[in-house]
Amino acid sequence: MNIKRAGLACLMGLWLTTAVQAEDWASIESKAKGQTVYFNAWGGGESINRYLDWAAQETQKRYGVTLKHVKITDAAEVVKRIKTELDAGRNTDGTVDLIWVNGENFKALKQANALYGNWVESLPNWQYVDVAKPVRQDFSESTDNLEAPWGTAQLTFMADQAKVPTPPRSAAEWLSFAKAHPGRVTYPKPPAFHGTTFLKQLLTELTPDPKVLQQPVDSARWAEQTKPLWDYLDEFHPVAWREGKTFPATQADMIPLLADGELLLALTFNPNEAANLIESGQLPDSSYSFGFSKGTIGNVHFLAIPSNAKAKEGAQVVANFLLSPEAQARKADVTVWGDPSVLDISKLTPEQQAMMTSQAKGALTEKIPTLPEPHASWVEALEAEWLKRYGSQ
Amino acid sequence: MSVIFLPVLWALGGVLQPAMNLAVWQALCQEPQVFGALRHTLISALGSTVLALLLAISSVIALYPSRIWQWLTRRLAVLLAFPHAAFAVGLSFLIAPTGFIARLLAPLLEWTNPPLWLTPQDPYALSLMLALALKESWFLLWVLAAALQQQHILRALHVAQSLGYGRLQIWLQVLLPQVLPRLAGALAAVLAYSVSVVDMAVILAPSTPPPLAVLGWQWLHDNDPHYYALGSAVSVLLMLIMVGISLMGWLGYKLLVLLNQTPSGQRWRTFPLPFKATGIVSLVVLSGWLALLLLALWSVAEQWFFPDLLPQRWTLKAWWQFDGSLLGNTLLLGAASSVIAVIVTLIWLEAFPQLSSEWWYGALCLPAVPLVVAQYTVVIRFGLESTYVALVWSHLWWVLPYVLLVLAGAYRSFDTRFEIAARALGYARWQVFWRVKLPMLGRPISAAVAVGFAVSVAQYLPTVMLGAGRITTMTTEAVALSAGGNRRTLAVYALGQALLPWLVFMLMSSLAFWQARNRRGLK
Repeated sequence: MNIKRAGLACLMGLWLTTAVQAEDWASIESKAKGQTVYFNAWGGGESINRYLDWAAQETQKRYGVTLKHVKITDAAEVVKRIKTELDAGRNTDGTVDLIWVNGENFKALKQANALYGNWVESLPNWQYVDVAKPVRQDFSESTDNLEAPWGTAQLTFMADQAKVPTPPRSAAEWLSFAKAHPGRVTYPKPPAFHGTTFLKQLLTELTPDPKVLQQPVDSARWAEQTKPLWDYLDEFHPVAWREGKTFPATQADMIPLLADGELLLALTFNPNEAANLIESGQLPDSSYSFGFSKGTIGNVHFLAIPSNAKAKEGAQVVANFLLSPEAQARKADVTVWGDPSVLDISKLTPEQQAMMTSQAKGALTEKIPTLPEPHASWVEALEAEWLKRYGSQ
Repeated sequence: MSVIFLPVLWALGGVLQPAMNLAVWQALCQEPQVFGALRHTLISALGSTVLALLLAISSVIALYPSRIWQWLTRRLAVLLAFPHAAFAVGLSFLIAPTGFIARLLAPLLEWTNPPLWLTPQDPYALSLMLALALKESWFLLWVLAAALQQQHILRALHVAQSLGYGRLQIWLQVLLPQVLPRLAGALAAVLAYSVSVVDMAVILAPSTPPPLAVLGWQWLHDNDPHYYALGSAVSVLLMLIMVGISLMGWLGYKLLVLLNQTPSGQRWRTFPLPFKATGIVSLVVLSGWLALLLLALWSVAEQWFFPDLLPQRWTLKAWWQFDGSLLGNTLLLGAASSVIAVIVTLIWLEAFPQLSSEWWYGALCLPAVPLVVAQYTVVIRFGLESTYVALVWSHLWWVLPYVLLVLAGAYRSFDTRFEIAARALGYARWQVFWRVKLPMLGRPISAAVAVGFAVSVAQYLPTVMLGAGRITTMTTEAVALSAGGNRRTLAVYALGQALLPWLVFMLMSSLAFWQARNRRGLK
């Protein structure tokens, strides 16, 4: 009886909150009408830029919200901007309404109390999100309803079939591949996002007990836990591109080098990127994607609203639209962008499912296990140590 | 004037304040990247300034006042208007292991894979040095050309020649001592630019570690106050480097003057110049044209992989996707800041004809890296961030001194007897200015507008910082795209960025020509 009543109360409560939410959402939508949302998102990818152009047209048409894509090169610069504004006393009318973020940049904003909160799970389209994916954890840091998941990513490697018929399938094979092809293998320079991820990938494979990576860094055991990584890099760098004396600034810098054969391997966080690049003529048709057999690091990327945002309602409407099955299916379509969805695929229509599972030439076809991101504190520690050891040569 | 400069100087104090702490400097010394970064900065800044000067001066010695010299200086505008970032992109298309030179060599040496060259981003920052030297040598040549337009230089050359002196001796003992002091401001600006360059360095300089300016810029963006303080200290260090090198240059010049104080009058043995004069000029000029050509090719290449000399497939896709609003913003900012700068400069020169304008170059001698952060603080205080007003205001910091650099020389060498004659004929002062001086100075004024426009178009750091990403230009787009790895789109924006100022140069020079159409003496 008690249980039943409790259940009923629960149901009532649920109904009430949904009703209240619906009402809230209607008022958010009406406030959002006419607002301009400045969405600060990395602007280096043409397919991403085109996708956001489409999203801007749709939000204008459907909700009267003007979406402006502010093309940035590094989210850390935006984090700095938001903090500069808050330090200067601008607690309203900030210049950033929505930001594409994850990992240490999210952590920095969260710690600075610079984020608007308590909005994510009340978005109407939250119901489609696959909560089995790590959408409430960002590099082992709890998202606390401060950022909405937008897409998933997995570290993926690219090569040209004509030059690399059998790719390396583990950190050890990577090293022997580099030794067999001196000067043709490298990775982006940490703290570039992909470079740091590559370090984390190597560390996950090389450290004796990968479970410790889920905990904050323990400085007492740091040396012993990371020694295999530095030994590996000391062996790798002498045979790396430019003898490891300089590194590509970003992952994108590696693409033209891969296309021309100056590099034989490149990496990406998007399993569909190679397909995209073949499509646009930036990689030879014989390019393909592959992963390590024991798995590669995967994570989720998010959307957050700064606490001093001017168009908070508009930003929520945009985030909600970007989470809609329609927008997510389009985003996952390899001919558009190819960024894997955060939604539960079983909750979608068959057409949307088809868009999400379509395959294109060059995309990752094999199933690669997903390894968890280490705790956010490892990012800074690894980057600092890397810079100390290899930052000046 | 004070609106442009004073608030920033005040805010600069705030940006640099964290550096006023001994502990910060100690931390800086312990930072492993600093010494390598310092080495890169010294090599690229000092090397490029000296090399640019040598390139410019040897071109002048070899060619002035020949027909080739006339031809060269008339076509400098295109190269001058070539923004730094765009030139860096074009040059890397040339010298990279997958670049055009390697592709030319590939069939001869039977390469199927790109060679293991170290360019660009070579470990000694030589690619950056070379790029800066070439780019800045055009600017120096242009300033030299302006200085050499005075009649007495040509007369001095003829007199010395008729006295039997050789070309090299005339230049070193007679002409350069007259011309070099007028080059001082330009040289300081060149040096300051090389010391604090970020956009070119990102493309061409090594990254382990990057040059100091890039390191400082990264640190000033760091969330950690410790690194922010280091960034502030690096800014101070950049200024010290600037002052130190300038002082050395000044002492070196004084020493040269001292050594040449009493020329013996003995004629040097004339010998053919130790270098092929045309060789140097073609290196200087050709690099620019080649870079432009490669940008044009890449902008229409669909698939162009090593070692193909020409694209396999062509496409206009990247041109169709060109964002027109960027063009509008770039034009608006360039036009507004250059016109305002010319008006302010004219008023300034008219109001204070005696005042030395040398200290203005001080604005150009401050490294851009802390300045832009200071400008941003000012703009936030007035709630003007990401407005056109703020951007024009910030561009003026650089546009105004360059415009002054162009105008002051012509203005000061304006023959005052025209003024006196006009006043004697009963013209009021403003009438003299309006009806005599302005038409006679039509050519330098239109050139100043064009230079101001080009300087504004090339501004990356202030546009990206104060525009808050909401107002974007061709330049910010080009640098953003250089992080994207798509050479086709990058080439479109770099080329557009280069063509726009060039068109303005053409427009302004035809305007000056049109204005002088029925004034015979001005043609």
